[in-house]
Amino acid sequence: MNTQQLLSLTKSLFFATPAFLLLCSCTTTEIDEFRQSATEINQGESIVILGRRQNNNYETEEDFVSCVGGVVARGQNSISVVEEREFLDAMFPFFEPRTAPMRTGHLEQLMAIDVAAERIKEFGIAYIVWVDGITERSDQSGSISCTIGPGGGGCFGFGTWSDDSNFEAEIWDMNTLTTVGSISTDSNGQSYMPAVVIPIPLIARVEANACNGLGSQLKQFINGT
Amino acid sequence: MTTMNKSVHYKLTWHTRVTRTVLVAVTALLSACAVSTINISGEFPAPLVQKLPLTVGVIYDDAFTNHSFIEINDNTGDDQYIINSGATQIELFNTMLPAVFENVIHLDSLESARTYSNLDAVFLPAIEEFQVGLPRKTRLNVYEIWVKYNMRLAKSNGDYIADWVMTAYGKSPEETFQSVDDGVNDAANVALRDLAASFTLGFSNIPEVNEWLRSENAL
Repeated sequence: MNTQQLLSLTKSLFFATPAFLLLCSCTTTEIDEFRQSATEINQGESIVILGRRQNNNYETEEDFVSCVGGVVARGQNSISVVEEREFLDAMFPFFEPRTAPMRTGHLEQLMAIDVAAERIKEFGIAYIVWVDGITERSDQSGSISCTIGPGGGGCFGFGTWSDDSNFEAEIWDMNTLTTVGSISTDSNGQSYMPAVVIPIPLIARVEANACNGLGSQLKQFINGT
Repeated sequence: MTTMNKSVHYKLTWHTRVTRTVLVAVTALLSACAVSTINISGEFPAPLVQKLPLTVGVIYDDAFTNHSFIEINDNTGDDQYIINSGATQIELFNTMLPAVFENVIHLDSLESARTYSNLDAVFLPAIEEFQVGLPRKTRLNVYEIWVKYNMRLAKSNGDYIADWVMTAYGKSPEETFQSVDDGVNDAANVALRDLAASFTLGFSNIPEVNEWLRSENAL
């Protein structure tokens, strides 16, 4: 094979590989909803979405919680969402990992404290949503080598990995101090990174899809639809 | 420029470039071996609790004010990180204590407490132990901070009221492109918030403190 043929083959691979793999690097998302009571949200009311951080092995990422909040707060039938950090600071020390209510029974004890109940009323919180989960990476394989020299540089190789996002949202009604339901989302996908001179990342947007799915379902749930 | 001069000029220029490259590489290597100082900084919200009707003096001794922890490199035995947390510890207590007690007075020593006739008690925090968990050492993808405090409460004349131990724990997930400084700082802030949360909610429940508060009609 001469230089021109090799160059031609490289060009073909460069354009064909991403097109082929684009069809393959997709994500599947499954969403389950369990409703225990009717829900609705009125004008002037808001919700707060908090991440569970009691687990020793992992903690729910702030970015994911913020993403879900963003989905709920925009678009049709949007709901007012209080920022997690703003709520945690305003309610300090009642929602820290060591002190946060784990069950609605603990919530009753919290609401018996006047200063805490008053602050929650100021925010107009109708529902507290606890999000718990993590995105895990597995099945990593392949390798990419990059070199650089006087004549130039480049990368060659192939890498692939699988991501699995598993999150659950539990919704607490602040009027009745009870759990009104839960929504779980399981999203997984395969990512690829072929490198033909330059790495071509084909990333399955697993966590983004989990966020969009959970956020949309949560918005519908709280609106009572 | 003659051919010979051009040749000499080229050699000198190439030599200068090589020398500069080697110097930069050596400097980079040496800086990687140098001790890294991490100054913990953060902002803490005032706790949302009902104040105890007490006037308390607080003494921060030199060990507390200038608290510094040295993380050793396991391979070489040299200092790897110096973590300075004294200033932020004081900031935390200066935010927390005025939210817990009606009045807080800063004192230099137990002797100066005697000059204040309205002092109900003197509070002396001390750090007994400080531990850091770095991802590259623990093989976990989190930065961890664990602190053990010894809290002492005394009357203004120095008489013992209570002496108890509190611990604080904080962790922060390791992120891509995040520096060690930021990871340690984030974990430290979580640990300090943890301390403030357990202190404000648990202070009145310490048995000796509870007994003393009842005797002062502060509960």
